[in-house]
Amino acid sequence: MTFMPKIDDAVLQVRDMHTHFNTDTGVVKAVNGVSFDLRRGERIAIVGESGSGKSAMAMSLIRLLAFPGKVVSGEIRIAGKDITRLTERELNGIRGKDVGTVFQDPMSSLDPVMRVGDQMIPPIMRHLEIGQKEAQAIAIEWLDKVGIPDAKQRIKAYPFEMSGGMRQRVMIAMALSCNPRLIIADEPTTALDVTIQAQIVELLKNLTAETGAAMLFITHDLGLVARFANKVGVMYAGRLVEFGPATDIFADPRHPYTQSLLRTIPDTTVAKRDRLLQIPGFPPDMKMPMVGCSFRERCAAAHDYCKSSAPDLEFRTENHYAACWLPAGLDGGKTAEDDAPKETAKSASVAPPPRQDVLEINDLHKHFVKKSMLPWAEPRTLRAVNGVSLRLNRGETLGIVGESGCGKSTVARMLLGLEQPTAGQIYIAGAAQMVFQDPYSSFNPKMKVFNIIEEPLVVTRKGTRAERAEKVRSLVTQVGLDQSYLDRYPSQLSGGQRQRIGVARALALNPSVVVADEPTSALDVSVRAQIINLLCDLKEQLGISFVFISHDLLTVRYISDHIAVMYLGEVVEYGPAAHVFDDPAHPYTRALLDAIPSPDPAREANRKIQLISGELPSPLSIQTGCAFASRCPKVMAKCRESKPPIKAFSKQREAACHLVD
Amino acid sequence: MTKMFLTLRKQHWAFPPEFHLPRLSLPHLNQKMIIALVILVPILLLTTFADWLPLQKPLQTNLRAIMQWPSHVHPFGTDRMGRDVLSRTLAGVQLSLVVGFSVAFIAMSFGLFFGTLAGLFGRAVDRAIMTVVDIFLAFPSLLLAIGLVSIVGTGLGPVVMAISLADVPRFIRLQRSLVLSLRSRAYIDAARTVNASQWWLMTRHIAPNTISPLLVAASIAAAHAILVEASLSFLGLGIMPPAPSLGNIIRDGQTYLEQAWWISTLPGVVILLIAISLHFLSDGIREALDPRARK
Repeated sequence: MTFMPKIDDAVLQVRDMHTHFNTDTGVVKAVNGVSFDLRRGERIAIVGESGSGKSAMAMSLIRLLAFPGKVVSGEIRIAGKDITRLTERELNGIRGKDVGTVFQDPMSSLDPVMRVGDQMIPPIMRHLEIGQKEAQAIAIEWLDKVGIPDAKQRIKAYPFEMSGGMRQRVMIAMALSCNPRLIIADEPTTALDVTIQAQIVELLKNLTAETGAAMLFITHDLGLVARFANKVGVMYAGRLVEFGPATDIFADPRHPYTQSLLRTIPDTTVAKRDRLLQIPGFPPDMKMPMVGCSFRERCAAAHDYCKSSAPDLEFRTENHYAACWLPAGLDGGKTAEDDAPKETAKSASVAPPPRQDVLEINDLHKHFVKKSMLPWAEPRTLRAVNGVSLRLNRGETLGIVGESGCGKSTVARMLLGLEQPTAGQIYIAGAAQMVFQDPYSSFNPKMKVFNIIEEPLVVTRKGTRAERAEKVRSLVTQVGLDQSYLDRYPSQLSGGQRQRIGVARALALNPSVVVADEPTSALDVSVRAQIINLLCDLKEQLGISFVFISHDLLTVRYISDHIAVMYLGEVVEYGPAAHVFDDPAHPYTRALLDAIPSPDPAREANRKIQLISGELPSPLSIQTGCAFASRCPKVMAKCRESKPPIKAFSKQREAACHLVD
Repeated sequence: MTKMFLTLRKQHWAFPPEFHLPRLSLPHLNQKMIIALVILVPILLLTTFADWLPLQKPLQTNLRAIMQWPSHVHPFGTDRMGRDVLSRTLAGVQLSLVVGFSVAFIAMSFGLFFGTLAGLFGRAVDRAIMTVVDIFLAFPSLLLAIGLVSIVGTGLGPVVMAISLADVPRFIRLQRSLVLSLRSRAYIDAARTVNASQWWLMTRHIAPNTISPLLVAASIAAAHAILVEASLSFLGLGIMPPAPSLGNIIRDGQTYLEQAWWISTLPGVVILLIAISLHFLSDGIREALDPRARK
């Protein structure tokens, strides 16, 4: 497979790389023949679902694989040296010096018992062969460059004294401090909030442009790719299925998988609500021998030829390669979307029922008081929720958005009675039920699916045993699963299937309101679309109201009728979803919207983005003025003195800002 | 019915269906558990059927054959009163196992109950239980046992009680920490949103998910209890001679270590084997129940 010419200024050349994990239960073929080149100053994004082998591929490049993993064949050249032939000792000379690495989780990638400086300085001394003093100066310079305020002091800080965003900046400073030619970033922003994510992406972009380092960026967020990358490689089942310039891939994708992925993202530019495309099926088991195209079972355009032989990555247009027998992929052929019934899109045009509130929250407060061990010390109060008032109409969806720590989950917990409000009232007509965030921890691993769904019925003593069994069977069908799943344990289900079970459990008691706390954030994009479609269908069929809590603004925009934007325990803007998105009134809403990248490189290039600086202030401190004053780009003297109350500025919309009148 | 018949058709000629034996499958056994069972099962069988073995009775003396080398008549030799060391050892093992498993059972049940209470209810209940637990944990377990035995007296019952008293607080602590880590799981929250009772949470969600780590701890506690019983008897505080226990057999033999090493050494090896196999068993249980270790 030498489909690309050798390039002189290539920083990284990979040829037919295979990586296997020899586990007890079989050989997992994580990477199956990947080849590509990366030139100086290029930023390449590798996208794919979890399990597609993208992380294994990246870690293979510097042979940092976890134990049973091994690069079994192929050639990896970094700056001319073949990585596969080096000894561990020689590799250590390359890691850190020629290749810098930024990992996903900033919480666990720094040593918690070492000061930041002690982690940064020794590698600099060793790789640049300089003394302690110079190394320290370089470390401080880099910390300053990545935007750590007061770097001279902060170099003495321990990781726990820094926020997640700050730690990720430190990781980036460490990765860049020895002037590497290549930076490998494995989902560097996944664990961070949108506003911080946008800051980190800008930072990486500017720093690589400045130093000329090439960058390999792994992500599952197509929006980030559009904002960040020059080139994109799409991975599926351990192989690159499409590779080319970012603009080309987004404008004219050629592989069915890429085409489907791009259609699973809700489009915010059109007001009309179509069903999201969902990719049927699951990725193949990487332990099984692969015959034919690995995507054929989920591909609408698959034909007999795909079963017998797998297509190679082939030239499409300039620098654009795709591994599909059909030159245009799905386009021109039949799509999965055509098979899906479209009746839901039509039924939306039924006249709206009269307004009837199922949920009303009045001036809700929740303060957590933390008493000190010392009897004379003042107890500290954390104002998690600070005066929230919201209403929800029957059959509508209210989206609550905000960064982590803004109090949105605390509001959800109070709605369900898991926390008692400090002050304020909640009125719910009927019952509220919850769909939880993490489909892995929200089920008792020792209970079968049947008992999980049945539990609310048993606890509330509803019906006879036979009636309950009947109800459970109808629920599981309603969420789109086969009844045979009732006999399984949660560990035998995929993430998407578990989240369907979570929805079924929430529906068991016929609630009037379902609170969904980040129900899709732990799922892959293709599965995410399935769950969102399911929630939309249920809303229309059963007339249930949803409170949808998320930091994924595209999803919230797609699913919600009204949106409440929360900041530090307060609602700063409220209104119909389309209005809030198209014409945000509060500076914070605007900043949030600017922070989300849209999956369109052409639009990203022309977008004027105003990123907010800084991070969420501590909810322990009490501000006199506007809570957002410390980060607001339009802050005035008045903002620091008096707090703007939330008030209606048009018929349907409310905002809490002095600028809005 | 026809389906079943079809699947069995091939065996039909060898066995008529009604005599078809289900194949004994042991899916949960792993290597460590097998090692443990290979040691434990023969010991268990030997002790259970000790009476039927062609051995001298444990208490029978024979002054014409004192301190004899191990032979085919006395595989472990004889002691200073001509008693058969193997038959005494087997009787001792029987007692040790009774002590070990009753302590494990008592410690586990008390730990499960009080630990769940402390962890789930918190506040005053937690404080009351944990204060008592911490007081008991402040004493070395052997000293606590010695103290109790010297008050209550010697014999099987007091020994079990004394060792349990030292182990129960550990189990309460363990169970409490397990409950605390489970308490914030989303499935507990999910049950709470439908107003599930505390009893429901305890029996349906907490107990089933804490039983496996408790079993692991219980098999180590059994091994530990056997060693403590041996130590107490060795010090003359446990089982009183002439009734045999591994501890007092070793104590009897240590005076004659130079002339007759087998009296102390061979029962010692048996204790070692039991303790090791119980540790293997606990490792095996942990591996079988913990999906992360199974990979």
